Amino acid sequence: MNQADVTKLMSQLRIAVRPNKRHLKNADGPEGRLLKLRKTVTALVKHERIELFYNRADEARGYAELLISNAIRHGDRHQATMELADYWLLEKQLVHKLFKVLVPRYENYNVSYTRMYKAPREYPGIYYRRSVLELRGNPYPSLAADQSQNRNLLHNVLLDEARKEFRRQKLSELVH
Amino acid sequence: MNLSTRVMLNRLTQQCAYKRIVTFSTKTAEHVIENKEEQKKAAPPTTPTPPVNRKPIIPANYRFVYPEFLLDPKVEWRNLVREKLERLDMLDRRKQIDLPEFYVGSVLAVTSSDPHAAGKTSRFVGICINRDRCGLRARFILRNVIDHQGMEVVYELYDPTILKIEVLRLEKRLDDSLFYLRDALPEYSTFDENMEAEPLEEGAPVPVNDIKVMLRPRPWLERWERQNLRGVANIDEYLKDKHRLSSAKVQKPWEKYDMMKDYRSSIPEEEQTEIFAEVHTELHALELQRKRNKRKRTFIKPKQLA
Repeated sequence: MNQADVTKLMSQLRIAVRPNKRHLKNADGPEGRLLKLRKTVTALVKHERIELFYNRADEARGYAELLISNAIRHGDRHQATMELADYWLLEKQLVHKLFKVLVPRYENYNVSYTRMYKAPREYPGIYYRRSVLELRGNPYPSLAADQSQNRNLLHNVLLDEARKEFRRQKLSELVH
Repeated sequence: MNLSTRVMLNRLTQQCAYKRIVTFSTKTAEHVIENKEEQKKAAPPTTPTPPVNRKPIIPANYRFVYPEFLLDPKVEWRNLVREKLERLDMLDRRKQIDLPEFYVGSVLAVTSSDPHAAGKTSRFVGICINRDRCGLRARFILRNVIDHQGMEVVYELYDPTILKIEVLRLEKRLDDSLFYLRDALPEYSTFDENMEAEPLEEGAPVPVNDIKVMLRPRPWLERWERQNLRGVANIDEYLKDKHRLSSAKVQKPWEKYDMMKDYRSSIPEEEQTEIFAEVHTELHALELQRKRNKRKRTFIKPKQLA
């Protein structure tokens, strides 16, 4: 019943995992659900940033994270991991990308490999939450606003004061 | 008299004041430390410095031997404080009684106190057909056939009424649970009550018994044909086409690719090491104690002749 399954050993994910899966309404049942998620994971690995409904993105995110973490853990000489990659990546050239591009990129990460943002909903339109799912370290410009130039940030205030003091000193030296 | 006491008092106050007011740092100055380091560097390295934080080396098989120490895989039922306290209780219980390593498929003898039995204790020998639940509630089911009647007893591993658990035959089977023994011929779950323990070599891997049992004809308790059992030999004899079709319909070949399902039903490695690091030293000490006891028991004092 509720004793942990010890046959499989996995790395801990750095994202919040829901206790239960979402069923993602599908006419083909659980197999259709997995096909839906396979398409999403394939698109994520291919494009590195995708916009989609929140629920589907959140479900696919765990699979993408585990795929990458298993690839890092076992490498490309591991039969089971290769089968997993073959199943989850519908376009087979992406298997090479997984092992040759993503694994070296994420080997030394100590944060999650993917990132999720809330995206605005269309109005009027389908009233589902939308989100943006992306791989970290992608080549696109960042989606999060750059706050480092905000003049009210403490370090900016301190830098300003330091600059002012430096100028005052220079002026006093010129006068004397 | 008066004067001398005053002087003494003054001195005392002076001393105290002197001691209390510290106008310099009590830490050693930086240049002193640097000098010391230089001296160390100059001296030839005689012995390699031991690593500061030595992590306990946790054996890789601990998760198979002590699965009940791991967290509850069902997150809603998890309570970290309760589980930590339970782990302490489990260790305390293990200090009182030897709870040996065993698996589904091992043959055990459990002696427990029973107010209704003659002599107030009862001993049951049987094959372990299932292990479930975690923490203090961990339990296992023993099965045996006694007087042509199949008997099963559910024991809780940490039940205080259990007096002794002996492993008579330590082995694994091909399947994770052996409920199909209920529908198998009785000889596959018949074990002699006076069976002797079969010792296993120390450090040897636990053998897997690849015996395939013969099922008896229908009706069965469960639809075994749907469960992909590896330990059943003759299931095809009893299947008609309708059974084959229906069992093909309920197969889930995609489940082995469902990584999140596996992730949710297991405990990730980091959490496992955290838990076992907490209990490792005590479990290891208990194991050593058990080994010592075993050696003591095997030693037979020679009889004095003449």
